[in-house]
Amino acid sequence: MSGKEVYLDSCKTSRLAPEVLDAMMPYLTDKYWYPGSFTSIGTEIAEVIEQAQETVAHSMNAKPEEITFTSGGTDANNIAILGILQANKERGRHFICSNVSHPSVLAVFQGMEKQGFEGTYISADRDGYLDLDELKAAIRPDTILAAFTHVNHILGTIQDVKAIRNILDQADHKIYLFMDSCEAYTKIPLDVRELGIDSLSISVHKFNGPKGMGILYVKKGTKIVPTQFGITRLYKLKPGAINVPGIVGTAKAVEIAFTDFDKKTERFRELQKFLYDEIMTRIPDAVLNGPPPGERSPTHLNVTFRYIEGEAIMMMLDFDNIHVETGSACSSQNLRPNYILMNTGRTHEESHGSVRFTLDRFVTKEDILKTVDALEKTAKELRRRSPLGKKEQ
Amino acid sequence: MAIKYSELVIEHFKNPHNVGTIDKPDASATEGSPACGDQLTVYLKVNPETQIIEDIKFQSYGCASNIATASIITDLAMGRTIEEAKQITWKQAADELGGLPPIKMHCSVLAVDALRSAIKNWEHKYLGKEIDDSLNKKNIVKELQKVIYGQIGVDIVSLRLLKYIGVDEKNNVLLELAIKKDDPFLADVKHEINERMEKFPKIASVKISLV
Repeated sequence: MSGKEVYLDSCKTSRLAPEVLDAMMPYLTDKYWYPGSFTSIGTEIAEVIEQAQETVAHSMNAKPEEITFTSGGTDANNIAILGILQANKERGRHFICSNVSHPSVLAVFQGMEKQGFEGTYISADRDGYLDLDELKAAIRPDTILAAFTHVNHILGTIQDVKAIRNILDQADHKIYLFMDSCEAYTKIPLDVRELGIDSLSISVHKFNGPKGMGILYVKKGTKIVPTQFGITRLYKLKPGAINVPGIVGTAKAVEIAFTDFDKKTERFRELQKFLYDEIMTRIPDAVLNGPPPGERSPTHLNVTFRYIEGEAIMMMLDFDNIHVETGSACSSQNLRPNYILMNTGRTHEESHGSVRFTLDRFVTKEDILKTVDALEKTAKELRRRSPLGKKEQ
Repeated sequence: MAIKYSELVIEHFKNPHNVGTIDKPDASATEGSPACGDQLTVYLKVNPETQIIEDIKFQSYGCASNIATASIITDLAMGRTIEEAKQITWKQAADELGGLPPIKMHCSVLAVDALRSAIKNWEHKYLGKEIDDSLNKKNIVKELQKVIYGQIGVDIVSLRLLKYIGVDEKNNVLLELAIKKDDPFLADVKHEINERMEKFPKIASVKISLV
């Protein structure tokens, strides 16, 4: 690998912000205590956790008691989906999900189907927007939960959560709405009350926070049962050890993300547009996947480079210390093309040459330029080797 | 577990040998298709008297291991006689590259397959040899020996995952596989089988049952 690292894969994971590490450090070293009452050390930690819950709750217009810190997005998905389905099963055993949902959500539902629950998976259009007519038609008297991915991690599509909520509210019984907001939180404004979300999950390591931390929001009054059992020091839904440094780091990462939020969003939008324009002007036969810049998540871009294969592109960039992700079958764990690209009407070939770029606060304009320089060189070289398409000289 | 390429694979991917086309080749063959994933085309120039491969080139629409295996098989075939080049196996190609991850072994199969198909086309054109694409169990097994089970990197015939082959009078093929329905590689194996069976022009349908 050569040159300065350019990391454009924050949707997978991201660099821990130095301010976050600084905030966590005392709780990894001297302040290693647990929260408690009456003692100076116990109350100090309790107050720190209370403050963290307030910070997180405030960021999404929730109440502090509606926030549970978990060990990650998957953990939060499991606690919410299993807990709501189990708690409401006397009303029905039907849920609605989508065939473009994140695999960690789909896996929970596949597990629940083996336990007697039944799912309807609604589809999405080419840009990844859910078919809301299908949603309407999918609602049954025994539907108790609808769960969707807020911002699609492959296509960058932002779902119209309010419209989803309105449709669910037309049913003559309560249907809970769970959103996997892992790729949405800190990227777009998120107000749980305005959007009518009953529960959502967040993964902290995707916005420069610590790994192994998640956030679960459950609206007060939601009928949910615990799915994990042990000593409940803080949360009834998440028993066991309390990751105090992780909670402190989470709060710091949230605080940073939401400080000058509009300014940060504007910067992401500029970088996104710059990346998109540079690719489209300099590299022939590049096709955008998902909604256009400006309408999709500001930190997300996905492009198919025709006639060449994504893993080869990814590796060529890796030689230049540039890191991206691909939807190519060659790069998957089971040799299948990305199911979201295929479920939104793309061919195997379109999925094969797809490359995803995701930004975070550390990405600069110079990084984008270096990336497109490398992409231009790579596309030219791989197309020289390819039997498909027009040849560039 | 991390999947890693050998240094030789990386070297052949970075600087592949014999990339390109041959003007007026004596024979060529394309294996795979963009609709299914990778595609590889091999071009040959053969001395008709000595039957020595005097030039060989390839073009690849594929990943790093696809390009690297194409590079190594063209190196192995260059300067060899047709008979010698026919003996190159996908295991040999993988070994020459310092090994391939099991999930990438199918790239080696595709590369050797393209070379052998180009040779067959040359033999057909210059020696008048018939290309045997008749639909029978022997030929079906030959094709299924190229279907790699990605978790292990070995073909489904050697792994004894293929339990039964049936061909009826209307050229419908029934295959029985000993693979669990929730196996993560089942979809890929089925996909590969269907692609391989397309090589038989007379085939009417393929049915795959799990036993």
